[in-house]
Amino acid sequence: MREEILFEITSLSREPMRVKAFKFGKKDATPSCVIVGPMTGDAIDQLWIASRMVRFLRQKELENPSFILGEIVVVPTANTYSFNMGKSFWPLDNTDIDVMFPGYEKGETTQRIAARLFEKTNNFDFAILLEARKDHAECKPYVSLLANGAEDVDDARAFGLDFIHIKDESPIDTVSINYNWKIWNAKSFSIISGKKGELRKNDANKVFDAIVRFLSKHKIIDFPIFEGSIGNVVTYDNIEIIKSSAAGLFDTLVHVGDRVVHGQPLARIYNTLDGTLMQTIIAPFEGIISCAYDYPLIFQNAIAFRIIRLEDTQLP
Amino acid sequence: MIEEFFNVKLPVDEHLILKRNRFLTPLQELNGKRISIITGIHGDEIEGQYVCYLLAKWLNENPDKIKGIIDIYPSMNPMGIDSITRGFPFYNVDINRTFPGKTSEFLPGQVANAIVEAIKGSDYAIDIHSSNIFLRELPQVRISKSNAKELVPLAQKMGIDFIWVHDAVTVLESTFSHTMNTLGTKTLVVEMGVGMRITKEYGENLTEGILNLMAQLDIIDRPLSLSKPSFVSTINAEVHFINSPCSGVFIPTLEHNVTVAQGEKLGDIIDPLLGEIKATLLSPCDGLLFTIREYPVVYEGSLIARILEDTKEEKA
Ligand SMILES: [Zn+2]
Repeated sequence: MREEILFEITSLSREPMRVKAFKFGKKDATPSCVIVGPMTGDAIDQLWIASRMVRFLRQKELENPSFILGEIVVVPTANTYSFNMGKSFWPLDNTDIDVMFPGYEKGETTQRIAARLFEKTNNFDFAILLEARKDHAECKPYVSLLANGAEDVDDARAFGLDFIHIKDESPIDTVSINYNWKIWNAKSFSIISGKKGELRKNDANKVFDAIVRFLSKHKIIDFPIFEGSIGNVVTYDNIEIIKSSAAGLFDTLVHVGDRVVHGQPLARIYNTLDGTLMQTIIAPFEGIISCAYDYPLIFQNAIAFRIIRLEDTQLP
Repeated sequence: MIEEFFNVKLPVDEHLILKRNRFLTPLQELNGKRISIITGIHGDEIEGQYVCYLLAKWLNENPDKIKGIIDIYPSMNPMGIDSITRGFPFYNVDINRTFPGKTSEFLPGQVANAIVEAIKGSDYAIDIHSSNIFLRELPQVRISKSNAKELVPLAQKMGIDFIWVHDAVTVLESTFSHTMNTLGTKTLVVEMGVGMRITKEYGENLTEGILNLMAQLDIIDRPLSLSKPSFVSTINAEVHFINSPCSGVFIPTLEHNVTVAQGEKLGDIIDPLLGEIKATLLSPCDGLLFTIREYPVVYEGSLIARILEDTKEEKA
């Protein structure tokens, strides 16, 4: 393992922010894979996954140097400053680094961070971004492919996660690292999981295993693995949004990943002052809870659950 | 006439309500045009509050002069405005990156959708911003190159100091102005002053400019007042960005809204611990200093100033 400071950003009164990479295998060996951890400072699960990955690769490489067949670079995070103060976005101006790609070396601070991170990560065969959802939702771990990378769905199946989501591109996606990796010909994937601000080890470990599986199946490491899921492909058309019609205390009755049946109560919403039951949210059909609202107070018309309809997912 | 166009319940005994004030000709002779004045999408930008007040006051005092429909929307992010929060509180997203929005989206997207639905059908719209808390701006209208032909003549009718025609950027397709221009409402974005403050002179000038514009568009009956011609950035004029080369504290030498000469000092980046000047920033050209940093703490890359270079014609 080689540890390297990719770049630094200085600050008025703080220690410089060091963005570090951990490199395994021989430089320019193929196939190559870069794994980039979170750019938001509250994606704890993702930091856990990235650091565990460094630890795993380091230990296995020490035991057996030929364990690494290609080249792997892990950048656990490009935003240490925000982690150290419990913020999501860039500490000074609250900008999101992941809307600054491909970056601009002469631009604002976060554009420069993006430019430097991109320059160091855009020449790999495979690129994996670890992300937490930025809205108030907890999700079953899934692979997210932008529509410009839809042809990579078979490669995405190597993760063995249950769901692969093909996302329609919005203008904001064109400035994400994932989109820009793809433009530069990497096969790029986002893995989205967990709940921001918390460590959910069960789900985090599933993502960890998925990445090991991916590296093994693509012959980047030599390591035995268990088979995962075959990978159901879903788009917005398969995902139904269940909204709250009342506001108040949100008492959820199901877990992310649960299979629910038509008519099953999913959550209750109570008046926050007098305790009156305002709404029982009912599953309108059979499916799997892919995402759930993750805060105990809820607005009216908020997205309470996302359910993947069972009848129309595409099997390979 | 006060009208509500969005109403959603918050968790604890409150509604989030978006309102407009509609002024129209008392005779219902609706042959006139419709204009919408909106502000407060960014909750830390307050300059537009004063403009809305001055316009509503004039309209209250001159009901007989109204020949069309004038809608005033002072607060498109009510919780943000009332709490110095730039984005949509709780969701921590910039509403001006969620347009056009959908009713099926999360709350900020629903708000964006409601704003679009309310304003759709207006002939004109003016979206008033005040930069952010970091930069102070000379009053200016910003226009994407793709709309320049239609919108520059409209902006000139306001007699605003500066019209900045900039390149089209994909990510700006999720803004209010892009959405409304696409829907056929000629929409101008005004940036002026600085976040969290009101610059009275700017507010008064812009109000006068909007009244002038409305008079020329036959929306109100009012003699034109004299206005000075605008600086317009054209293909012959370049806008220079001056970003900080290092972290530190910025001490300006010049106020904004001044003409600068090439090589003239804009300010220093100082180190308070060492008592040293870390960098001195000079103007790269002769021109108009229309943006200057207001918030002193900077990182490498923080924007310090923008200068509109004098055009060749003007120099000759
Ligand atoms: Zn703004």
